[in-house]
Amino acid sequence: MNFAVLTVPDFSLHALRRSEPALAGKPLALIAGEGRRAVLSQVAAEAIGLEPGLAVPLAMARCPAVILRAREPGADIEAHRLLVAAAFTLSPRVEATAHDTCTVDLQGAEDSRTETAMRLRCAELARAGLPARAGAGATPLLAAYAARCADPVRLVRDSAEFLRDLPLAFAEPTPEHAEILRGWGIRTLGGLACLPKAEIGQRLGTDGVALWERAAGEATRVLRLTEPVRSFVAEWNYEPPIDTLEPLLFKLRRYAERVAFELRAAGFVAEALTLTLFLENETDYRREFRLAEPGTDVDSWLRVFLSHLESLRLDANLAAVQLVAAPTRPAVKQDGLFDTGLRDPHVFWENLARVEAILGEGRVGTPVPWETWRPDSFTLEKPAESVPAAEPEPVHPRRGGVLRRYRPALPVLVELDDGRPSALSGAVAGAVCAAAGPWRGSGDWWRPGGWAVETWHVSLAGDGVYQLARTADGWAVEGVID
Amino acid sequence: MPDPKTLAALRSLVAAWTPPDWRNGVHVSTGVRAVDEALGGGLPQGRLTELVSAPGAGGQFVLAQILRTARAVRQRVALIDAADAFAPESIPSDDLRHLVWARAGNLRAALAVADVLVRDGNFAIVVLDLRDVPARELNRTPKSAWHRIHRVAERQPAAVLVQSHHGVVPAVGWRLALPRSWRLADQRSTREELAAALSVETMRGHGAEELAG
Repeated sequence: MNFAVLTVPDFSLHALRRSEPALAGKPLALIAGEGRRAVLSQVAAEAIGLEPGLAVPLAMARCPAVILRAREPGADIEAHRLLVAAAFTLSPRVEATAHDTCTVDLQGAEDSRTETAMRLRCAELARAGLPARAGAGATPLLAAYAARCADPVRLVRDSAEFLRDLPLAFAEPTPEHAEILRGWGIRTLGGLACLPKAEIGQRLGTDGVALWERAAGEATRVLRLTEPVRSFVAEWNYEPPIDTLEPLLFKLRRYAERVAFELRAAGFVAEALTLTLFLENETDYRREFRLAEPGTDVDSWLRVFLSHLESLRLDANLAAVQLVAAPTRPAVKQDGLFDTGLRDPHVFWENLARVEAILGEGRVGTPVPWETWRPDSFTLEKPAESVPAAEPEPVHPRRGGVLRRYRPALPVLVELDDGRPSALSGAVAGAVCAAAGPWRGSGDWWRPGGWAVETWHVSLAGDGVYQLARTADGWAVEGVID
Repeated sequence: MPDPKTLAALRSLVAAWTPPDWRNGVHVSTGVRAVDEALGGGLPQGRLTELVSAPGAGGQFVLAQILRTARAVRQRVALIDAADAFAPESIPSDDLRHLVWARAGNLRAALAVADVLVRDGNFAIVVLDLRDVPARELNRTPKSAWHRIHRVAERQPAAVLVQSHHGVVPAVGWRLALPRSWRLADQRSTREELAAALSVETMRGHGAEELAG
């Protein structure tokens, strides 16, 4: 099999449904034409008794609950981009054959893997609201025939047997040719392909030869390849502007699904997502979400968004949204035999994102002290995926209790006796029973922001040991030795 | 069935009703001998344990020992810091590599984060540090919030340690107290020596009878 075709029957109807949550499960039908000539073009399964081609008044009489809508170009475009992105996950050589159909050049791909990949794509597209069918065959035409009668995937290995029972209408004969062939008793593609090609040419002309080639599945062509996307952006508007979270989350999922497909097709994962909300009062709100674990799992993305959006208050109604994914290559690694990895990495990273949404950016992580003596200097970094083995014991083990810091430090007045603290007053007060120090440190003196500090440990009568610091701003209690 | 007229009888009745894994569960060592002995081997998994300590009495030291012990066996620890008081520079940097520190800064955020991290399932120990949170604020915490954390913890493998200045967790299985403040002279002792010398008092222990038995 050299070619595959992905197609979505009733494409515009499904595209419209996936863009409007209110249409889910409703008897929907699309109309084509205007005025008295308007007829149904696509009909949802829920619209019982209706069929394409039915006049609108008759349709309303047969199914009074039917919702009649025209095609929505914006929804069609978005659904088409999703379909193309799904096709690119099968092969980099993709033709956007029609708004509802993509043809994929599969040359060089393994049949077994292709079938599995096609089934997965169809399932994913169905979950995204586009119930696609996929077919594969030796020519683009055979693949298209296979897709038309697939459920949801069909591979054509023996073309003669496959074509034998297909109706003649698949080859799209002209009305005249259809009439003539009906007179000959030809009703299937197999029946036409059994006739000699030259004899058909003599009787039906060059159009007849082309029809015979289509019936035999031999017609081939060069694909007009589509360029893969290079930026991973989704933008959409709300008309009228919205003031609740539900419609935002609904469309966010739909557009995120497409962006995730595009990332996967290009061999990327998202390491950050930037969500920009354009408000009715012509201001905007922008937030970048750094993903703890880069990936293309839309559910994880939405949980990150939801954690943040639930607590967000905007000044005006929401008029438009832009979602931008920053791509990166997926990390490929193999854990060591004794590494203790995460029991459930997805839950771990999602929960970290949730905690960050609660506490704010940069408030959760693994602390890494800086290589400096400057007090309270550290960064919070992304936790390690696996806990490495502990380092050997230090030659000089730590001594004493552990500092419990006051942030900010508590300013105090300090009485000195012979250069040593003898009494404190202020937030922490009392006579100093014993004092150890000073330990002096300084750094960054060669640039702005230089620091110098003199540290003491003081024991107050019956009240523990405190860490006292003297800087250019005066004395302060940095914390308690706990 | 004993007549629950006395507290001891009531306790034995509750103990009889309690599922066996509740009382004989796995314990996670804290690295402080007195604490481990008081708890029958360490912090019980799937349960809340409360450690009450005044400022300077060694609560942060116990946390440092927990980090050190968990690091040796490569288990993850979460610290939910309601007062944002943890000082990373006072812990060896290698003892921080398995730590997830949530700098909550207030009680409401700390409880919300605890609800998330206790149910995570990737942590061996979750420390909820409520010291330096105003007592009035702590006392206003609805009991249902604690009940929820209790129930969540029961379904997870994490041992949950709540640190406070006075007992705040209702219906907690174990409540220990650190009675003695550090002295300046203690700053010259190694942390191993201090860990061996640290003493604790058991303020409340559901499992005391079972351990004795």
